[in-house]
Amino acid sequence: MNLETKLKTRKFFAHLFLILFILMIMTPFLTVIASSFSRGHFAPSKLFPTEISLNHWKYVLGIPHEEVVNITTGETRIIKADVVPILWFWNSIKISVIASFGILLLSGTCAYAFARMKFAFKEQTMTGLLILQMFPMVLALVAFYTILEFIGQFAPSMGLNTHAGLTLIYLGGVSIYIWMIKGYFETISTSIEESARIDGASPFQAFIMILLPMSAPIFAVVFILSFISYMSEYPVASVVLQTGEKWTLAVGANSFLYEQQKLWGRFSALAVLSGIPITVLFIICQRFLVSGLTAGGVKE
Amino acid sequence: MAKTNGNVSIKQLKKTYLDGKGKPVFTAVKGINLEIENGEFMVLVGPSGCGKSTTLRMVAGLEDISEGTISIGETVVNKLEPKDRGIAMVFQNYALYPHLSVFTNMAFSLQLNKVPKAEIKKRVQKAAEILGLTEMLDRKPKALSGGQRQRVAVGRSIVRDPKVFLFDEPLSNLDAKMRVQMRTEISNLHERLGTTILYVTHDQVEAMTMGDRICVMNEGEIMQVADPLTLYKKPENMFVASFIGSPPMNLIHGELQIQDAQVTFIEEGGSGHHLGRIQLKGPLAEKAKTLGNRKIVFGMRPEHLNERSQCENEAVMTAPVSLAEPMGAETLLHLEMAQHRVIGRIQNDRLFKRREEVTLYLNLDKCSLFDPKTEQVL
Ligand SMILES: Nc1ncnc2c1ncn2[C@@H]1O[C@H](COP(=O)(O)OP(=O)(O)OP(=O)(O)O)[C@@H](O)[C@H]1O
Ligand SMILES: [Mg+2]
Repeated sequence: MNLETKLKTRKFFAHLFLILFILMIMTPFLTVIASSFSRGHFAPSKLFPTEISLNHWKYVLGIPHEEVVNITTGETRIIKADVVPILWFWNSIKISVIASFGILLLSGTCAYAFARMKFAFKEQTMTGLLILQMFPMVLALVAFYTILEFIGQFAPSMGLNTHAGLTLIYLGGVSIYIWMIKGYFETISTSIEESARIDGASPFQAFIMILLPMSAPIFAVVFILSFISYMSEYPVASVVLQTGEKWTLAVGANSFLYEQQKLWGRFSALAVLSGIPITVLFIICQRFLVSGLTAGGVKE
Repeated sequence: MAKTNGNVSIKQLKKTYLDGKGKPVFTAVKGINLEIENGEFMVLVGPSGCGKSTTLRMVAGLEDISEGTISIGETVVNKLEPKDRGIAMVFQNYALYPHLSVFTNMAFSLQLNKVPKAEIKKRVQKAAEILGLTEMLDRKPKALSGGQRQRVAVGRSIVRDPKVFLFDEPLSNLDAKMRVQMRTEISNLHERLGTTILYVTHDQVEAMTMGDRICVMNEGEIMQVADPLTLYKKPENMFVASFIGSPPMNLIHGELQIQDAQVTFIEEGGSGHHLGRIQLKGPLAEKAKTLGNRKIVFGMRPEHLNERSQCENEAVMTAPVSLAEPMGAETLLHLEMAQHRVIGRIQNDRLFKRREEVTLYLNLDKCSLFDPKTEQVL
């Protein structure tokens, strides 16, 4: 074999591998889309359904539609959901956006304190946060339940089965983000803030006008990560939110999977729906994710 | 438009760094006194870690003062915020705001101070003109060269029109050529603005060429404050003698021997050796007589060794060359005395060979004697 054919075969196998790999990643995704457009509630065996139906989507979006209820007789009925699933979608977005902004606010300010200020037990607090966040939130479910029940006695709007209560619990997940942002702050030379201080900025102004704009990329990353994690969070939400109209997307989608009958079609439609805000968010945040925002300020 | 209130008075200033729990870790500045006159260009120089930056940062208000007072003008500024001290500072790493344009970088302090827009524009443009930055006002710092960035940092402080400029090794990040250029630019700027400057560097050439006066620091203490020539000619201690000048002053440990009218310096461990002796004459001999037989450190500058006799009070030294470094206009000769190696800076008109015995004339009027224990000049 001469060199050229050798290179060609190598290229061929490399491409083959890559294509297979992409297929492997894409298949589940395409299956979900396909199943949301298929007729019936079975997990589809074909990637391209022979019969396309919008029934699942209509159901999810709350549009009344005809559906076969008895396969043998072919009897149909007009169907409309009691609680329209799209409501769960808006619930999820509302909670995720508010919680993510809350996370930005809390973790940004905490990270600033940890990165720039001196106080007693700083190291211990940092380590404590790290250890605490290693335990999954689920472990504290009982505690969350009790706490919300307790709060609910005084402020019913923040108790069990409220979005405010769930958001409150979600805000407890800040520690990992504090670590992330703190790490970023520490790459920014303190002399830039000292400069601002000499220029007459208060510590708060220096934080808002100098440090924050320079840290846009990390804040975008934190926002995306927390948004995604709250869009898909199930265990806590399923315990806190008890009535259908309060559910989030993950809880609602799960309600389609009965023990006896798994309504994969509706589940898939919701799954595709949940991907949309995440995609939109990525597109919005992309312009903040540029590198080199801090370049040129100091000589390393 | 010379200002009047730009004198800085530092009294018994001390800085002890504390750790997170408030325990003292390190005393970086050990009670220094320094008076800087209005309009003076004062250079703080010393080896790395001697406390120069710490001192400067205390003047700026970026570091708490452990003990002592700092006054600017007639005001004690210990408790004042940096912005209220009438100072501006240029950092070693420029510390520009990377997300803001050059214009906004320079205008930032004025904007915070709610100066009218027209006035801001006027002042920034004037500073930009002085520094040759007019073309670059719209750029981000990223799109500037190192020298231009440092100019923006200088511009940012000019715009504030401070009573005192503080510079912390502003040129150390620039390449050699740019450094020489910026050196003259800063000197010209001082000439033009007439504002007090406190300038930190560890480069003695920068110190000698720029400073009206130089304050030499070592290990948190001031070793000597004087104008460049005095520092060079009359170092008060061995530290200054070995810090200023390049190559530095030769310091030879040994003792004085006074026999009748003869005063001889004998190098340590060189008593039986003809290379280890220097005959003293003139004022230096007179001074040595008052000191008596004692241990001493003999200091001679490389440039005071000559190949030809040049004045009356000279000592003749003969020694082998261990290394010759031709520099063009002059040659650095490393000579072997009995124990020490001495460097001579000789006006060049020939090549020297290794091991060659040379005879040099030492100008005794310019030599110094130090006490080996206190390291102070005698
Ligand atoms: N935050 C701190 N905590 C403890 N020690 C410190 C701290 N900052 C500085 N030091 C110590 O104080 C001493 C003086 O530091 P300083 O920065 O003033 O030195 P310098 O003279 O500016 O040196 P260089 O020429 O390297 O900049 C150093 O030994 C340094 O290790
Ligand atoms: Mg320093």
